Amino acid sequence: MRSSAQTMTPQASWFSEKILMGLTPRAYVRSLFTPFDLIAGLILAVGIPVIIYRFAFGLGAATNLTQETPWGIWIGFDMLCGVALAAGGFSIASTVYIFGLKDFHPIVRPAVLTAFLGYLFAVLGLMCDLGRPWNLPIPMIYSFGTTSVMFEVGWCVMLYTTVLALEFSPALFEWLGIGEGIRRLIVKATIGLTVAAVLLSTLHQSSLGALFLMAPTKIHPLWYSPFIPAYFFISAIGAGLSMVIVESSLSHRAFQGRADHEVNLDRVAIGLARAAAVVLFAYFFLKLQGVADGGHWALLATPMGYWFLFEVLGFVLVPSLLFAHGARTRNTRLIKWTAAWTVLGAVVNRLNVSVIAFNWNIEHHYVPSWMEVVTTLTLVTTGVLCFRWTVNRMPILRELPQYRDEH
Amino acid sequence: MIPHDILTLYDAKAFEYVIALLFLALFIPFWQYLSGEARPALQPAVQAARRKPARPLTELVEWFRMAPDAFYHPGHAWARAATDGRVALGVDDFAQKLVGRLKAVELPAVGTRLSLGEPAWRLRVDGKAVEMLSPVDGVVTDVNPMVVASPALANADPYGEGWLVKVDAPRFPAHRRTLLSGRLARSWIEDATNALRLRMSPEVGLALQDGGMPVDGIAHALDPDRWDVIASEFLLTQGNETPATGERR
Amino acid sequence: MKLSRRTFFKLGGAAGAMTIAAAPRAVGASPTAIPGAGMKAVLVDTTKCAGCRACEAACAEANRLAEPAMAGDERVFTTRRVTDQRTFTVVNRFERGGADTRFVKRQCMHCVEPACASACLARALDKTPSGPVVYHPERCLGCRYCMVACPFDVPKYEYESASPFVRKCTFCAERQVKGLEPACTSACPTGALTFGTRAALLDEAKRRIYDRDSKYVPHIYGEEEAGGTSWMYISDRPLDELGFKGGVPTVAYSSLAQPALAAVPFIITLWPPLLMGLYSFSQRRAQAEAEADAHEEVPHA
Repeated sequence: MRSSAQTMTPQASWFSEKILMGLTPRAYVRSLFTPFDLIAGLILAVGIPVIIYRFAFGLGAATNLTQETPWGIWIGFDMLCGVALAAGGFSIASTVYIFGLKDFHPIVRPAVLTAFLGYLFAVLGLMCDLGRPWNLPIPMIYSFGTTSVMFEVGWCVMLYTTVLALEFSPALFEWLGIGEGIRRLIVKATIGLTVAAVLLSTLHQSSLGALFLMAPTKIHPLWYSPFIPAYFFISAIGAGLSMVIVESSLSHRAFQGRADHEVNLDRVAIGLARAAAVVLFAYFFLKLQGVADGGHWALLATPMGYWFLFEVLGFVLVPSLLFAHGARTRNTRLIKWTAAWTVLGAVVNRLNVSVIAFNWNIEHHYVPSWMEVVTTLTLVTTGVLCFRWTVNRMPILRELPQYRDEH
Repeated sequence: MIPHDILTLYDAKAFEYVIALLFLALFIPFWQYLSGEARPALQPAVQAARRKPARPLTELVEWFRMAPDAFYHPGHAWARAATDGRVALGVDDFAQKLVGRLKAVELPAVGTRLSLGEPAWRLRVDGKAVEMLSPVDGVVTDVNPMVVASPALANADPYGEGWLVKVDAPRFPAHRRTLLSGRLARSWIEDATNALRLRMSPEVGLALQDGGMPVDGIAHALDPDRWDVIASEFLLTQGNETPATGERR
Repeated sequence: MKLSRRTFFKLGGAAGAMTIAAAPRAVGASPTAIPGAGMKAVLVDTTKCAGCRACEAACAEANRLAEPAMAGDERVFTTRRVTDQRTFTVVNRFERGGADTRFVKRQCMHCVEPACASACLARALDKTPSGPVVYHPERCLGCRYCMVACPFDVPKYEYESASPFVRKCTFCAERQVKGLEPACTSACPTGALTFGTRAALLDEAKRRIYDRDSKYVPHIYGEEEAGGTSWMYISDRPLDELGFKGGVPTVAYSSLAQPALAAVPFIITLWPPLLMGLYSFSQRRAQAEAEADAHEEVPHA
């Protein structure tokens, strides 16, 4: 946010300091007239009525879901991609706190914030998709479908979102300047929280894949495999690391005035690129193993087979090699573009399993309705706005002087 | 889930082993490629520096960073012996934050003689300029081309890449004892910070408390129209008075 | 936390040994046991169905649904119908060149190991021990995972409603509790639907198939499909010509996700010691490096 001419108001309230960042209300509102804000405003102006419409008139009125394709992009993109791309949170936290690579410390907070908002908005997307979201407490409190992978996913996501909120909260307390006791307690519990984060993430990243084990006849054989859980977990790591590269390079450009100048993002990006290269390289071979295990080589010559090859070669092997090359030659530009491409690849993979390769051969294949797309866009935009609001005010990209010595 | 019959299973399992072995074979060169450097290997000293966990080269005093190995002039310029025997000069973090993002820096040409306590260079922001005093006696031998090209470098890294000039100052080892360093420098910055605080409206003070630096500089936040006057007071290039105490130097 | 390397490896080794020693659970019972032997089931003999659709009418009445579409009108058979949120059972006609017309009643198969019930996170869809897979609407979240899981695409959703439920045949569970037969089987005039226990009906089906002058195709649809269903079909025509899905895996669907779920307690147990071990290891290494650096440092001039 720009700090335009600061006119001195006689009384400085907590609201004008913390919320308006020291600007007068008028100056603050004026500062919101950027192209990005106008587009975001437009999206919200259309999206919020659409969401209200969906709840007023039901799923049939707002979506293209059918009896044969009960899941659409709200599950395939909002839920699955939102969770996969938020995997950067536990990846970076474990890199710094478990593996002790302190060089990556500056990106822990933005990665955790990205993850927290990612999960929050994935859950909001889920609320839009559920037919009876008000019944959400039921499997949490008294009717436990313990044979269901969905049960485990629900619990894990709920617990993990809580862990993320806790991991994020020190930044909140530092900003508000209150709750020092709680803040200290949470900081002391960092290792425990990180272990919980890695544990819960392993469980539900893989379980989101395990959901599809129940549909062996409906998912195209090249994507259906008993290894789906492992695939989802490993690709989540690759996607999460790439997302962190994308998010940190965008953030440091957009929020220059708010970021610590000493952070050497290039070195961080190169380190992340190395890790992502290895993960994607191994993942490529695991996908090959899946094809061998199913004996589906002949299917590679079909249209869906070509699409599978494109996903696996173009979005896994190629980025792996590009990341390796970029890390080796310290080409951060290449790394950043490869990361963006890999993020797209993760989205493609999740959409493939849940929507594209799911019931790929029925007569009327599912295509999302414009309202589903608008809702998704609205949720993503709101998430980005929340991210910006938080980074502008709280110590995410920078450290407050009084807490600097803690790390 | 297509159940395998044992006849196709033989081949399928064999192929899986082949893929796994292929992966192992390819992974070794891949790892080597990944870990290699396209540019020649860094010198051992630099590599050693990289191995250490990020040890701050600067320390924080109140809101401002200070380089422990630099010697400060009360006008907020610093001097430090460089590896080539010359003395590097620059602006300190206080000065950089005070004036804000630099539009241009007018540096003395190579060969200019600088005198301790006399104006040495000008910082230009927003159409107005402020001067700063030289911390040493010496002859300018190098001017930092990177700062000339992008002056904001002096904001981003005032003690490192944002050095301004290098001078030949043969009597620097003796004279530097008259400059501020160590504990003295720290309390000097604390005093300067207090002087700033006294002038601040509550809003700006709170914003600085949060660590958020106004992009246009602290002086600008104090008084947008007369920021250069305020800045010059602290940089000792106007009226020769120290700001807080009014003492004559 | 101080953890010596030796202790870490001891713990790790013990954990690993336990994993290997855990004997794989025997999948399925003894070879002669019939899944769901004592559960209530229905044998549908398509050679006897006349297409009168009395079952549809009885079902609609018993479940307080709207009257079946185009009741009494033969033209209803010109399109292939499926169940939906207002129709729990349908009868379709399959002709083969004029003669050889067969009618097939479709509804929920009430699998012995139902995919939908094992997929339901709130047990809204629940398998009862007596056979029917019933629905508890008050528990349902509307996640529609049951619809993804069901190999027969049985559960249907009330997309048009702002307060939607899953709808499907309930095997007249409330009537069965009172000792009655399901509405459809009681209404069938031709004896195409036979209500009984699964084991007994399998016997009956085999008797009919292997009878000396039998014309039946030697396949009981639902004997093994999806691990066995309560509604089973026999016919004198190949069953894939009668609208039945071929290639339905013969494993119990409830077991498909179990290997993945079984890993969960393992991961919960193994991850913390593993991660804390890595943490200790990296701490030790950082400590050793810091000590080495302290020795190396040369004081600045």
